[in-house]
Amino acid sequence: MKYNSQKVAYWFFALSMLLFGIQITYGFIMGFAHMGFDVLHGWIPFNTARAVHTNCLVMWLLSGFMGAAYFIIPDECERELINPKLAYVQLISFAIVGVIALIGFHFNWWEGRKFLEIPRPLDYLVVINVLIFIYLIGGTIWKAKRYTTTSIVLFFGLLMAALLYLPGMLNTVSQTVDSFWRWWVVHLWVEGVWELIMGAILSYLLIKLTGVDREIAEKWLYVIVGFTFLSGILGTGHHYYYIGTPKYWLIIGGVFSALEPLAFLGMAIYAVKVKNLGERNHPNKMALAWSIGCAILSFVGAGFLGFAHTLPQVNLYTHGTLVTAMHGHLAFWGAYAMIVIALITYALPQLTGRKLHDSKLGVFAFWSANIGMIMMTIAFGIAGVAQVYLERKLGLEFLSVQSEIEVHFLGLVLAALVFSSGCIAFIWNFVKHGMPRDTQIGSKVYE
Amino acid sequence: MLSKKSARTFFIAGTVITFGCFIVLTIDTFKKIPAQTNQHNLSESAIRGKHLFDQNNCMGCHTIMGEGAYYAPELTKTYEKRGAKFIEMMLTDPEKMFPGKRKMVKYNFTAQEKQDLIAFLKWVGEIDLNGFPPKPDLQVSQQSVSNLPGNQPSIIQDMCMSCHSLGGQGSQEGPGPALDGVGSKYGVEYLRRWLSNPEEVKPGTEMPNLELDKETIDELVSYLSKLK
Repeated sequence: MKYNSQKVAYWFFALSMLLFGIQITYGFIMGFAHMGFDVLHGWIPFNTARAVHTNCLVMWLLSGFMGAAYFIIPDECERELINPKLAYVQLISFAIVGVIALIGFHFNWWEGRKFLEIPRPLDYLVVINVLIFIYLIGGTIWKAKRYTTTSIVLFFGLLMAALLYLPGMLNTVSQTVDSFWRWWVVHLWVEGVWELIMGAILSYLLIKLTGVDREIAEKWLYVIVGFTFLSGILGTGHHYYYIGTPKYWLIIGGVFSALEPLAFLGMAIYAVKVKNLGERNHPNKMALAWSIGCAILSFVGAGFLGFAHTLPQVNLYTHGTLVTAMHGHLAFWGAYAMIVIALITYALPQLTGRKLHDSKLGVFAFWSANIGMIMMTIAFGIAGVAQVYLERKLGLEFLSVQSEIEVHFLGLVLAALVFSSGCIAFIWNFVKHGMPRDTQIGSKVYE
Repeated sequence: MLSKKSARTFFIAGTVITFGCFIVLTIDTFKKIPAQTNQHNLSESAIRGKHLFDQNNCMGCHTIMGEGAYYAPELTKTYEKRGAKFIEMMLTDPEKMFPGKRKMVKYNFTAQEKQDLIAFLKWVGEIDLNGFPPKPDLQVSQQSVSNLPGNQPSIIQDMCMSCHSLGGQGSQEGPGPALDGVGSKYGVEYLRRWLSNPEEVKPGTEMPNLELDKETIDELVSYLSKLK
């Protein structure tokens, strides 16, 4: 860590880990409910568990992205943040808004719109919060000693993510219009601007970890984010197949979604290639493992499994079934959870001065979490395909089908145990690193 | 080999062009949505229903137009499939309708709110969704169905089949028993008393009191007693 203000990143990462833990806990509540054990129904009905599960995910990833930005931007810009104190204000207000939202979900206080459940009054606070964040990052880049492509792409991604939150706040009376704008937020986030953020973080990590030439790394960053937008923007069409919007979206969505894996494939090839090209032998092996793993699993989860059910002919049957959950889990894990974890793994030894990244616990966390998530994806896939066949093809009643596929949720919960033990190991390793230390400021160790 | 500058040009040009197309298509879509969704039928009541649907996060368990969670049934065609009466009873007391099955929150809606939600579901069900949800194309047509007596009251499909089976259709695993042969098991008077108030005939039964009107009971009794 070079700069004092990078320390704030640690607290965003800590908040991430806390929310990640809550997300997993509520995931188990849902898994058991699907198996027929809904003993918590009176206190935490399924829709509450679901809202907590998905919103914790969004919040911990955003917190991770913000932490990443506060860590990367001073380093790339070669200066302190313009106002470190304001960064702490932003952290605390972000945490408060998040906690209020999560508690509210337990008291039927929400907007029941998938992924955007945070109630409207809190939306305005989110906007203010994000404006502070954008001001801090943008201002720091503005006054930077050098401009790097990585920092510009990262900033552009964060700025667009903030702007794209706004369509989700439009008031609508029609379910179709509501859904249309909702995907402007959700799709253009996860299959658009978040990929910019991910690409920039990945590029930063690969430059640092492999010693690859910055010019080469950043050139490929442009190519990858180019493909992301080329396919991803019109790929939004795959959410407009069956919601009461014109039929041409079936063709446009189908064609451009089919191109979406290209960006992820490019990212995977680039990461592996750069790893072999780079001449630097960085001691933080686990950070590199998470980075390369992220590039590969994001291709499998977001690219390949997304493509697997995005063609309109297939999606007609899989739309609104557990097949979506299969794709969703590996996509979010591979693309976004892993990039945040990779950066945390890289940053922690620098922030705290403790070199625990290659400890047995850290290695176990990597393998257990990844193998567990792949097993979960398979369990969801089998349950999803069975559901599609029984319900959509054979026309059985929804509840009859659900009791047929209960057994696959036993598989899911067992896989989730493997996954969670890896995640707990990671969080425990995080805690063992301890707090950031001032003695690390200016230290070049582990950079 | 590609230079960094041309890579940047590719990124900027690709983004500007596709986003431009996206905006044009969005404008065109907004012109077409009113006709495709029958917006002229979107009543005040249906709009209130939509807001109730949001405020209670129904999407947190159900899907509608295929969007939401995968814990509870897809609701797009519920109005067509079940009818207003079923939906109203379901909203009044979900557990009464599906005893021992997956639970739904009991929301204590007012009579007006229930009507609003029904109006909302009716409107959604009439939207042209480009063929969604698909018709089950491998559905096995049950042989025994054709052996059933004609003039089946619509309530059999709308309500009874949620818990019972008949001719191999409906809920195979209960909680209610199969209705095949029910006419030879029970007499007309028993069936009438049973349908009017199950609790009185068999205390502690899982069969809900459906509060059916006399006409429907007559229709049902006459049909059920033909199931020999």
